[in-house]
Amino acid sequence: MNSSIPSNEIPRRGFFQLTLGWIAATLASAASAMAAVRFLVPNVLYEPSQRFKAGKPEDYADGSVTFLEDERVFIIRKGNAFRCLSAVCTHLGCTVNRIKTGYHCPCHGSLFNNQGKVIGGPAPRPLPWFLVTLSKDQRLVVDKSRVVNGDKYLVV
Amino acid sequence: MKPPLVKRLWKSFERTRVGRSIFRVGLPESRLERSRAMISSFLLHVQPAKVSRRSLRPGYTLGLGLISLYLFLILIATGVLLMFYYVPSTDQAYNSMKDLQFVVSAGLLIRNMHRWAAHLMVVFVLLHLCRVFYTGAYKRPREFNWVLGVGLFLLTLALSFTGYLLPWDQLAYWAITVGTSIAGYAPLVGQKLRFLLLGGHTVGQEALIRFYALHIIVLPGVAGLMIAVHLWRVRKDGGLSRPDEPGDLVEQVESGQLPANKTYGLMELARGTTPQVGKDPEEEVSAWPHLVFRELLLFLLVVAVVLFLAIFWNAPLEEFANPVHPPNPAKAPWYFLGLQELVSHSAFWGGVVVPGLLVTALLLLPYLDRKRAGIGRWFARERAVANTIFTLCLVAAVVFTVIGTFFRGPNWGWVEPWKQPPAVTEGP
Repeated sequence: MNSSIPSNEIPRRGFFQLTLGWIAATLASAASAMAAVRFLVPNVLYEPSQRFKAGKPEDYADGSVTFLEDERVFIIRKGNAFRCLSAVCTHLGCTVNRIKTGYHCPCHGSLFNNQGKVIGGPAPRPLPWFLVTLSKDQRLVVDKSRVVNGDKYLVV
Repeated sequence: MKPPLVKRLWKSFERTRVGRSIFRVGLPESRLERSRAMISSFLLHVQPAKVSRRSLRPGYTLGLGLISLYLFLILIATGVLLMFYYVPSTDQAYNSMKDLQFVVSAGLLIRNMHRWAAHLMVVFVLLHLCRVFYTGAYKRPREFNWVLGVGLFLLTLALSFTGYLLPWDQLAYWAITVGTSIAGYAPLVGQKLRFLLLGGHTVGQEALIRFYALHIIVLPGVAGLMIAVHLWRVRKDGGLSRPDEPGDLVEQVESGQLPANKTYGLMELARGTTPQVGKDPEEEVSAWPHLVFRELLLFLLVVAVVLFLAIFWNAPLEEFANPVHPPNPAKAPWYFLGLQELVSHSAFWGGVVVPGLLVTALLLLPYLDRKRAGIGRWFARERAVANTIFTLCLVAAVVFTVIGTFFRGPNWGWVEPWKQPPAVTEGP
């Protein structure tokens, strides 16, 4: 190859350097972007915990639907199966009331059935079910940050 | 005839040592000086030295983009002033609004100007978008500038939305609660996005400081940069679109490919269309004073309108934000009420699919619609199909927004605004 004529071919060493450079640049940019996004996710929230203890299973009567006012959830017991339904209307966040056929939101008239499904009103989504677990000291633990399917029970 | 006194005074100032150090070219007298005045001044060089008569016709652009820019400048000026008093804390934000209204000299006026200019900017950026569509001005080589424009439209909405929370009154609190709830309807990322935006699960101190940071520096910074590129591209893409402009870019010619027996002027090596390609010198006039004068006049007009609105109408300020007591109905800012109306029918279709498709369609538009016909004319017959589709979408958006704004009462029920509103039933 005549060295005076510039060639479009990249020498092998140059190719590796280029590849390495691009990989390094991509990784560095990705890591910086991830760090920036992660920085924006708060690690501490100055609001009530999403996870809370809801007392002993025996506190709830068989077949009962109990409203917990502070946490805005319903604890539902059927036999020895426990579930927890949100009482926060998915429309604009008012607290729904228990009625015979399900739940009713007093703010904008949304109606939900016993499964939390919307059967009327402006609510866009069903009421979410939250994960119920049992702590070591045999208390019900509800995690409002973890939404589960309505057919998931905690059997005690 | 002697020139007017002001001009003579100005001229004598220009001739002083100080005057000559400030102005590289004095008040221009000849055609050459007019061009030099434009290209040798930092503030004026953004614009061409010569503009086509067509571009100066107010009926073509209606000055909509320029009005949007002026509103942005007014917003920055008033916004910076407001920052001297505003404290972004849930305890003090509302009080600083009250201070601005009742204690600070001209505080009420500045705040009113900021609020009305913000509303006007949403309107005028949208109108500008419509103008560019109806004149087919988004086609090659202006595709990317259209994309930038769509980005600026979304940024305008984001700027207005983030500013909405800052007064921390009932209107602000619930508009943002409802608005971010709509964002939460997006699939997969919706709830995460809402959490990231609010810095928590509900609108609180974290949300206020985040919206503040976005509103005063992040979004205006990005918008300012994008406006600069947008304006720069207007010139680099060949000035304002016109029917007779050449469709294709001038091919870039490698120097090695030039035949040796021919001489070439530099213009043949230049890449892309310039404002001069295919133009007759007779069609052009000096930007100074024809363009500069019109721009100044429009600026005065915009300031006058904003001042007029600010003097006679006060920006709303409701009672202190109360998280346990939503107003009924709780409404998002007016430009999102069409969206809220759609969401009230179907969260997925109204909140995700329709806006998602609209934004995607706007972004892809110049790459999909590549026909060359009907560029640079309003409502060109050749563009009847595109114009009809766009008009239908526009009318639908306006109708939904009007319904959401005026025809929705308590429980998001149908009300007729000319009738007495029904009694509000209170939530728990």
